[in-house]
Amino acid sequence: MIEIKNVTKKYGNKKAVDNVSFNVNKGEIFAFIGHNGAGKTTLIKAITGIHDFDEGDILINGKSIKNDNIECKKDMAFVADNPELYENMTAINFINFICDMYEVSLDDRKKNIDKYAKMFEMEDKLGDTIKSFSHGMKQKIAIIAALSHNPKILIMDEPFVGLDPKAVFDIKEVMHEMVKDGKTIFFSTHILDVAEKLCSRVAIIKNGKLVKVGSMKEIKGDTSLENVFLELEE
Amino acid sequence: MKKIISLIKATMTDNMNIFKIKNTNGKKTILPIILTIVCMFSVGSYANMIIEPLTSIKSEYILLSIFTIVTFFLTLVEGIYKSSNLLFNCKDDNLLFSLPIKRRTVLFIRIFKFYVFELLYNSLFLFPAMTVYAINVKVGINYYIVSLFMLLLLPIIPIVISCLIGGIISSTSSKFKFKNMAQVIVTTLLLLVIFYFSFNMENILSNFTNNASHINSIITSLYYPANAYVKMVTNFNIIDLIIFIVINILLLIIGIYIMSIRYFKINSKVKEERNSSKSKKYIVKVNSPKISLIKKELNRFFNTPVFMINAGFGLVLFIIGITLICFKFDSITKSFIMDGEISIKEINSYIPIILYGFVCFTSFMTSISSSMISLEGKSFNILKSLPVKSTIIIMSKLATSVLIMIPVILLGDIIMFIRFSFNIVEILMIIIGSIILPLVSETIGIIVNLKYPKMDAENDTEVVKQSMSSMISVFIGMALSFITIFVLVILLNVGVSNILILMLINWFYIIIFSLLLLYLNKGGSIDFNKINV
Repeated sequence: MIEIKNVTKKYGNKKAVDNVSFNVNKGEIFAFIGHNGAGKTTLIKAITGIHDFDEGDILINGKSIKNDNIECKKDMAFVADNPELYENMTAINFINFICDMYEVSLDDRKKNIDKYAKMFEMEDKLGDTIKSFSHGMKQKIAIIAALSHNPKILIMDEPFVGLDPKAVFDIKEVMHEMVKDGKTIFFSTHILDVAEKLCSRVAIIKNGKLVKVGSMKEIKGDTSLENVFLELEE
Repeated sequence: MKKIISLIKATMTDNMNIFKIKNTNGKKTILPIILTIVCMFSVGSYANMIIEPLTSIKSEYILLSIFTIVTFFLTLVEGIYKSSNLLFNCKDDNLLFSLPIKRRTVLFIRIFKFYVFELLYNSLFLFPAMTVYAINVKVGINYYIVSLFMLLLLPIIPIVISCLIGGIISSTSSKFKFKNMAQVIVTTLLLLVIFYFSFNMENILSNFTNNASHINSIITSLYYPANAYVKMVTNFNIIDLIIFIVINILLLIIGIYIMSIRYFKINSKVKEERNSSKSKKYIVKVNSPKISLIKKELNRFFNTPVFMINAGFGLVLFIIGITLICFKFDSITKSFIMDGEISIKEINSYIPIILYGFVCFTSFMTSISSSMISLEGKSFNILKSLPVKSTIIIMSKLATSVLIMIPVILLGDIIMFIRFSFNIVEILMIIIGSIILPLVSETIGIIVNLKYPKMDAENDTEVVKQSMSSMISVFIGMALSFITIFVLVILLNVGVSNILILMLINWFYIIIFSLLLLYLNKGGSIDFNKINV
């Protein structure tokens, strides 16, 4: 599980994330929503150990990302909002590279790559260089690479951007499958319908501050997540 | 016009970051200013050395023609390196080509950006020479006006030529399946031709005090701007100045017009990626994280033409230089022996030191690692999210750069060992030097790049040729190689034996490398984690 404890991240004097605390429990799909520039990506980068933060702590399965970041990262996979991959590599070499970093055995990686490449209809494209791919194809490769090492926690920043409807459906299926296996999924999105249908819990961030966190039922009540979000934005 | 100014402003903002005297932490750093002053001072001292003998024959103006032709060659070589990557397949292509502006305007803006950088680069050489001339010769206001126009207009001709060559290189290489490799080969061949001519020019200049006026007439007859400059300085005429300005502007307009005819077509062709439509069987392999990281770095190196040419060219020149020494040794030494200045035995005894100096110069002037962090760009976040210690990532970059350099240097050593007689200790010392010197150079490169990363470059050329990190590494490399060669010569002159000299220098650099490694282990990780993309 992910425990975010009083995290503050400043850029100069501006607080991009201001004293944010919440937990993401094991086996749940958790949506993180907020307007553009609210601090979602900053917090996600802090959770994944990409950016340092000024105050507080983040625990990944009980280990601090500040003090034990390698062990924390071993449990996680991250899919960025804009897939900046190694353009000169072939897709399979990139996925192999990620598997090497997570020290995935040959059998496991073969099984996972075959499964997800087929699912995302990329098996014919794995031998091609990444720079020849469209945004959506790159996103699919980033997702296959993230799933290939069988992470306990999957963190995604706007994972549906640029994907075709079939791929969006497939990701949702994968998310359900992972949760069934007791894994945790934390993702940011602007597609509130998807968040509403898919997630058990949600957090809303505004100007770096957490304004709401709880189960989807608690947050939206009798109305829709979209209405709640728009009311908070006013 | 308003549109063009807005576009120039928008596209130049990022590029001008290099001139900000703040590092990534927002702290002020005076290093860029110091380096500029040191560079200008060195060029000024060199110009002063040249003007002294010229003053005695009242031909000081020759200094200006020499510096004009030298900066022409420097800008041309720089331009050929850069133009393919600065003009084609840029990150802002989609934005600029979608705007309601002419494609020719996009080309103009890119050439203008190129011009601004070359103007600053040229000023490093021309400004000190012009100042030295003004100090040594009584000059009037006309000299300053002419020199100002010269400073502004001299980059135009080499830029137009190098852009045309860059267009030809890109157009030719885009026809091949392996475009990057084709670009590397064509560019390297062209640079070798230019180097051949500039070395010949150096031979002409080597005895210049005796043939000063002859040299001047060669330069001025070959290169119109040198002729115009000398003419206007010695005998100012406003008509000549106007003609010079008009010719340069016309050349620029004609150059842009010619390039614009096929610019968009070449740019589209360069972007095309050829992937076979047939499904390929993919291979799943397992490597250790370290090996995998090194393979990733090698892939980046061999797929980045400007990176390969920049790093590889020095190594190619090293092998060519070694081969020339081997084949032309007898004819080179003949003249010294005939003059009775030195015996063949003495010359042979200097060979190990000459080779070591050559290895030192090549190692320090080839900095691969100084661009390796910056070239990650936005994909740097992939590295930061991996469950691998940052020291391993840094060390893999260092290992890759020395893996590229050391085999080439050792190959040169072996050629020399076969051609000349070395004793076993000398061979051992040179081999140690050929390993330790690239290690020192590349460790400095990566430390500097961690301190001065450029993660938002529009293209690889900006990182490899125009970033603060690559410039600082070149300056440090230049200083270290000159100091080391100077120490080698001094020790040789005071009669210290070859073996002792090589041993002392090797020990010195082993200690330096150990200290750098200690720093990199701790400070490197801190700097790595501070980089936010």
